[in-house]
Amino acid sequence: MSLATKRGLAAGVLTLAMLTTVACGKTENNSASNAAGGSSAAEGSPSASAGASQTADSGASGEKIKLTFYSYNLATAGQKEGTQQLIDEFEKANPDIEIDGIPVASTDINAKVQADIAAGSPPDVAQLVFDGLDYAVNNFGAKPLEDIVPADELSKAFEGFSPNGLKLGQLNGKTYGLPFTFSTPVLFYNAKLFKDAGLDPETPPATWAEVKQDALRIAQKTGVSGVHIGGAQGNDWIIQALIGSNGGKVLSDDRKTIQFGSPEAIGAIQMWQDMIASGANDKLNDGDVIEAFAQGKVGMLLFTSALQSMFVSSAQAGGWELKAAAMPSFDGKPTTPVNSGSALFILSNDKAKQEAAWKFLNFVTSERGYTIITSKIGYLPLRPAIVDDPQYLKDYVEQNPLIKPNLEQLDRLQPWVSYPGPNWHQIETTLLDAVQKSILSTGDITPIMQDAQKQAQSLVQ
Amino acid sequence: MGNGTRGFRAAPAGKHAVLIALGFLAVFPLYWMINTSFKPDTEVFSSSLLPRHWTFDNYRTAWNSVPMARMLTNSLAVALLQTGTQLFTSILAAFAFTRWTFKGSSLIYGLIGLTWLVPFQVIMIPNYVMISSFGWRDSLMGLVVPNIASAFAVLQLFNTFKSFPRALIEAARLDGASDWKVLWRTIFPNLRSAIASIGILLFITAWNDYFWPLLVTTKMEHSTIQKGLQMFMSSEMNLWGPLMAATTIASLPVLVIYLILQRQIIDSFVKGGLR
Repeated sequence: MSLATKRGLAAGVLTLAMLTTVACGKTENNSASNAAGGSSAAEGSPSASAGASQTADSGASGEKIKLTFYSYNLATAGQKEGTQQLIDEFEKANPDIEIDGIPVASTDINAKVQADIAAGSPPDVAQLVFDGLDYAVNNFGAKPLEDIVPADELSKAFEGFSPNGLKLGQLNGKTYGLPFTFSTPVLFYNAKLFKDAGLDPETPPATWAEVKQDALRIAQKTGVSGVHIGGAQGNDWIIQALIGSNGGKVLSDDRKTIQFGSPEAIGAIQMWQDMIASGANDKLNDGDVIEAFAQGKVGMLLFTSALQSMFVSSAQAGGWELKAAAMPSFDGKPTTPVNSGSALFILSNDKAKQEAAWKFLNFVTSERGYTIITSKIGYLPLRPAIVDDPQYLKDYVEQNPLIKPNLEQLDRLQPWVSYPGPNWHQIETTLLDAVQKSILSTGDITPIMQDAQKQAQSLVQ
Repeated sequence: MGNGTRGFRAAPAGKHAVLIALGFLAVFPLYWMINTSFKPDTEVFSSSLLPRHWTFDNYRTAWNSVPMARMLTNSLAVALLQTGTQLFTSILAAFAFTRWTFKGSSLIYGLIGLTWLVPFQVIMIPNYVMISSFGWRDSLMGLVVPNIASAFAVLQLFNTFKSFPRALIEAARLDGASDWKVLWRTIFPNLRSAIASIGILLFITAWNDYFWPLLVTTKMEHSTIQKGLQMFMSSEMNLWGPLMAATTIASLPVLVIYLILQRQIIDSFVKGGLR
């Protein structure tokens, strides 16, 4: 029996290994052939474009074009309504196009798109997080707007767009993603704790040295945590913002060399390490600190501006005053706020659908679209003029002055760099791990960051 | 058991202390979930053991944010169907392995055992591609059919079936019962509690599954409740109150089924421990 079982097991392992290899090979082939099919369709083999234009004609003659739209805002209870409003208003204005909004959580959306591409039916439009931009372009077959929309129409649509904002979804000079819901890192602070510590809440710290000073004072006088720099967990956008503000980069301009082991990058993380070592910054994780800040138990918090509405209501409930300032600088060097959040990508291979999708993207990033995005979903408008326009956001900004430091940062906004190749996520994780290790260590962090750089470099393909 | 010595009497107190502590550890998160679900926003982060102001708002929000009734019905249908089919296929498989010794049986058994070790992530894309080609996306078939056989259940039931006295099977055969009758008239009634307990585990696994429904379904209306829970979580913040309310609602059916079949489960765990 035992011998038989062993032999059986061995044979089993072998068969299984073979089966898995076959299965994997098959999926790869599948997605490869899909990608191939995608590009040929996009570049317009005669039959494909003929078929597509037929669909377009039938669209004009009253048949609806149906677009599937994967969105994680639809999968978030507090943001669902605003997103649905965008869809509803668009459908009303474009009765020949139907948007089939499909909620997928942000952490699962890449996996689902990948699976759908393997199954041969990618969504027509997908909301994807910026750190996956490179992957969306090279592996999901995202379509550049320049290939879909005539140049003059495109430049007209981009009039009034923040030039920095437009860069967020660009790669190799083409626009693949239009910034949809995104935010920047801002310094939230508790004005009550400032007063309790004898600090002036009207003059928030502007440099990290001042932050440290004020934080130590708050910790000393009130006994709560002075400051918390968020973003050591999850995604690396705040880390990129800090490294950039100290004159460093995470990736070279030619997108080939990882650079987060450079002296500037190390300097930025050293500031963070010193903040924790001195006791100015607590050692809690981001989730705990967000809750503690909401309870009025943290002096300052550098984190996504998307938290604003939650903090406003918890400040009202808890009887303290919430204020916000721009991201502090490294001794007056210009800061480089990096965006978090997502862009909309067109993944459809069908010409008629691509054109319909462009209409949708154009609407959600229009004056009206960004008005809904800002006032109903809680993100930022990338059309600076609408902030002063009574038809759009003027009233909202007057009622919500906290958004101002955030808007000012748009002038200095830097794109969230997505790492190249299929290992992009592993590279991001490598950086996050190294930063977590560095800020909690006591010694020199140079070896940690340089090891991470070396490791990440080997993952670049 | 009968020879109650002094040592045996001292032990239960210590044992009970440990068990009470472990019981507390198991029950407290459940209690905290229900406690939080009744707290208003302002109290969610307070550590009070009872809400100061009781509120049903979280339940209202949870119920209105997702098509809760539809999703619960879907979950129940998927979990019941999946459990039923998994039990049926694994009972047949376990019976075949115990009843006959045939060439290659250990190889097949080994293979089934090995599939248990393959993580779902490895097979999810091929499964999904196949389901899509059948046009089964967004359907009950797509949710259930890839899961109608469970390696875990086959292994568990095989061990249970092995312990069933062979003499009884032989006796039934001598009485002229067919194999089908032997299985359902002789073996099944005697092993009902063991089968029920495996059924519970299968039901909980099916109920808690998140990733497969996420892939197969698009609309919330066609999905299971686990996907609905995600609505209250995001990278920036969790809506703790509604999340706990929705989680409480989502765990009720499992609790009810557990209570109904409690006796059987405990029986089988005890037996499993003794074996």
